[in-house]
Amino acid sequence: MAIKVLLVDDETSFVETLKRRLTLRRLEVLTAASAAEALALLSEQEPDVVVLDVRMPGMSGIEATREIRRTHPTVEVILLTGHASLEASMEGMTMGAFDYLLKPVSIDELIFKIEDAHRRRNLRRAGTEGEPGGPDGHGGGGG
Amino acid sequence: MLLERLRGWLRRRAPQPAHGAGDDGTSLFRERYHALRLLLAANNKALDTMAEMELAARAEEPFGMAFVHSRCTAVGVSVYAMVRHLDELAPGSYPELFPALSAIQDRIREAVAGRKPRREAPLVVPLAAVDRGWTPDVGSKMATLGEAAGLLGLNVPPGFVITGAAYELLLAHNDLQPEIDRLIQTSDSDEPAEIFALSSRLRQLVVHAEVPAALADAIAGAYEALAAAVGSRPAIALRSSAVGEDSAEASFAGQYATELNIRPEHLVDAYRQVVASKYSPQAMQYRLQRGLRDDWLAMCVGCMAMVDARAGGVAYTANPGDPTDRRVVISAALGLPKAVVDGRFVADEFILSRERPVRLAARHIAAKPGRLTLDPAEGVVREEVVGAQQTAPAVSDAEAVSVAEIALALEDHFGGPQDIEWAVDPDGEVVVLQSRPLQQVAAAAPGAELAGVSPLLAGGLCVSPGAAAGRVSRVERDSDALRFGDGAVLVVQHPLPRWAALLPRAAAVVAAGGGIAGHLATVARESGVPALFGLAGAEALEEGLEITVDASGRALYPGRIDALLGAERRHASAIAGSPVHATLLDALALIAPLNLLDPSDVSFRPASCRTLHDITRFCHEKAVREMFDFGRQHRFPKHESKQLYHNVPMQWWVLDLEDGFNRPLTGKYVRLADIGCRPMLALWRGMVAVPWEGPPAMSGRGFASVLFEATANPALATPFRKPYAQQNYFMISSTFMNLQSRFGFHFAAVETVAGERDHENYLGFSFKGGAADLERRAGRVAMICEILEERGFAVEAREDHATARLAGLPAAVMERQLELVGYLIMHTRQLDMIMNDPAVVAHYRAKIVADLERIASGEPGAGG
Repeated sequence: MAIKVLLVDDETSFVETLKRRLTLRRLEVLTAASAAEALALLSEQEPDVVVLDVRMPGMSGIEATREIRRTHPTVEVILLTGHASLEASMEGMTMGAFDYLLKPVSIDELIFKIEDAHRRRNLRRAGTEGEPGGPDGHGGGGG
Repeated sequence: MLLERLRGWLRRRAPQPAHGAGDDGTSLFRERYHALRLLLAANNKALDTMAEMELAARAEEPFGMAFVHSRCTAVGVSVYAMVRHLDELAPGSYPELFPALSAIQDRIREAVAGRKPRREAPLVVPLAAVDRGWTPDVGSKMATLGEAAGLLGLNVPPGFVITGAAYELLLAHNDLQPEIDRLIQTSDSDEPAEIFALSSRLRQLVVHAEVPAALADAIAGAYEALAAAVGSRPAIALRSSAVGEDSAEASFAGQYATELNIRPEHLVDAYRQVVASKYSPQAMQYRLQRGLRDDWLAMCVGCMAMVDARAGGVAYTANPGDPTDRRVVISAALGLPKAVVDGRFVADEFILSRERPVRLAARHIAAKPGRLTLDPAEGVVREEVVGAQQTAPAVSDAEAVSVAEIALALEDHFGGPQDIEWAVDPDGEVVVLQSRPLQQVAAAAPGAELAGVSPLLAGGLCVSPGAAAGRVSRVERDSDALRFGDGAVLVVQHPLPRWAALLPRAAAVVAAGGGIAGHLATVARESGVPALFGLAGAEALEEGLEITVDASGRALYPGRIDALLGAERRHASAIAGSPVHATLLDALALIAPLNLLDPSDVSFRPASCRTLHDITRFCHEKAVREMFDFGRQHRFPKHESKQLYHNVPMQWWVLDLEDGFNRPLTGKYVRLADIGCRPMLALWRGMVAVPWEGPPAMSGRGFASVLFEATANPALATPFRKPYAQQNYFMISSTFMNLQSRFGFHFAAVETVAGERDHENYLGFSFKGGAADLERRAGRVAMICEILEERGFAVEAREDHATARLAGLPAAVMERQLELVGYLIMHTRQLDMIMNDPAVVAHYRAKIVADLERIASGEPGAGG
């Protein structure tokens, strides 16, 4: 099953470009132009991973991270921003963001991070629900 | 407060999920393993970022604050992730780590912020009221001009300065700095097209910023006071005066906008235009090349009554291209001095003695087909000059002498040769518009005589000495600048200041027009780029043609003429010692040094961590141990470590973290055929590729020394508590391997990720110990380091402890290198014994190198 990603950024051209590229790489992509829109969308169709901008009009990405982690504890959040600030990055991480990536980011690196976050979500859900393992099978490693 | 939030986060952490009976521990085990993998990936990224910062700290290439901010942020995030993942591996075991990290982060943040050199000042101040003491508030250009008017009593147009405090207010009111930093950060490319696009976005941001009412009122008030003082409502010239311009090496010639002949109702618009020119492409390049901090540079703007110049130009109190020539050089144009400064017209040149009374030594009168004058409505227009006026001198000899006398008075007062902009007003009075230190460069040796090669073009004016070769790239418009290639010869009609943005990439500059006094000439001299201006015929040079520019010899030659190029152009890195460089060093001192070395030492704890590197070291060490202990303590049969069975049971244990075995194992043994971990198999191949000859023969004295150390040195312990101390442990998955091994007194650890994501791959090899005295143990380590370095590892050694690292290579390459490491682990044991005998050392070294060559060529067989 494709990883479901929600992209949140007020720069719509950026969101659209990124959506095209991630879709091409077989991810299922939802978009939102603000934190409020993202939170509304989140309760309708829960994504695996949210990729959030930090500086947006209205609610900031940092506040949104806290809100998402509170209401959807297994949804992972990756902050993706041009805001190279030590303070904001530490705040974001403290709020429970999985990572804080700086634009411009290579599409491969972003996808790897999304995959890692998704894997962590599965492991956590498996742990809390007592299910034996997620979709990644065990022992597939070829020699 | 960050600390508070960290604590809060710790408190809020959900309790660990309970695992019911019948659970084989798989999900718990996997979660831990995933945390370990993420921790190791973060460790790898942190180390890579540190290495990148250390490389930048050598100051061989320019970098800006965006680099400092982004790398500090990236390394901080990686280290935070490590601390969090360690907490997932061992919940609550290291609560002191968060405060330790937080304290270091706070110090880094302070180091990066630096001390902004600014103080309280009014938003607007009359020009007559300032002197050089005001430099931090009004910029050096206006401070100097104010002092010339006040202390020296020179003729300076009346006016006022909009200060650095006003600039700060404008930025704060619009919250611009974070947005500016964000735009610079997200572009992060030095391609001309990207620089021009970024410049445009930044300038629009400033031009559209809202001017707060307090500032608009202050500007209007200052203008009314000026109007009252001069008894009219004068048009205004707005000139940039950046704080930071005064640095001895940084002239900022022509980097910023000047707005001439502005009506009072447009003052605020013109002010924003001048402030926005802080982000002109040439100014951004200039700051980047010189390591000036963008966020420390405040744009002050001088507003002066417009001088309706009859003539004007530039005066140098020495020859900029020849420090031994101390005569005064004046360039003069009809109309506004902007014509000279922009390099738009060929100017008259007057050369005068510096001895008083000043005398005219020579003059060269040019044909002046045009001039710049004031438009009756607003701004500046170009006007044709016709008839005899074209060849008449722009100023009289007496006026030239007055300009020279004023220039020398400025030099006397400010000390050192000056570069002065002046004008003659309608009453024939000489007015000073600017004075700054003259940039001088040593004259280059005259170009070599070339037998048999005739120049393409000859003549013109050497405005920056030297010679260089490259392909012709003609630039007339910004769109041409976008495709300007690295190392090309910049060929232009008019040497406009805007082309300074291309100088870092240009081999040389050739202009059909212009003279020595233009801004582009100044920046070319400063940047050490050879430049030949006023060269007739340059406009016809063919695009893409390879030429050699001999600026000193005032000629262009076809092709590349090595005889002329001689010494490689000195590309002085102006960034060393600059504010940006100093900021990086300050931050790096809190990031990169490693103080936590010995895991068995009592000081190996969070409270001893003084740098981010210390935190990574601590987290890594503990994470590996926690993972291992987790596997030991939770006796899930499926996740027990297995003893390696190879012909006989061996002293090697293997713990499968995820998919390191090819099939589920039930017994207590694992065979090589069951191992699905490619890195482990590669290491093993290296270990068994060549049979070990046994310990080296040693002298009697060597043996006694070994016995002594063995009894006297309790520090030779592995990081693991007993009973594992005498064993060798692998932790593996299909693409991950961590080995902790101990052979006698030799300790070695190897960790690698060799999977499909090249950039996450790494190989770390650390080793220490030996039984001989420290000197010989260090000798062994040095020898191994040398061998590893020759094979592409980055190596760091201290005493008898060393780490070697490789990163970012494809899995196949990593596996080759693992074979090499496997060999070294087996065959360098006890070599410390022989380190006092150079002949024996040479023998072993030669044997090792020969063996490694054989292994690298894939020759003899592996053990699996």
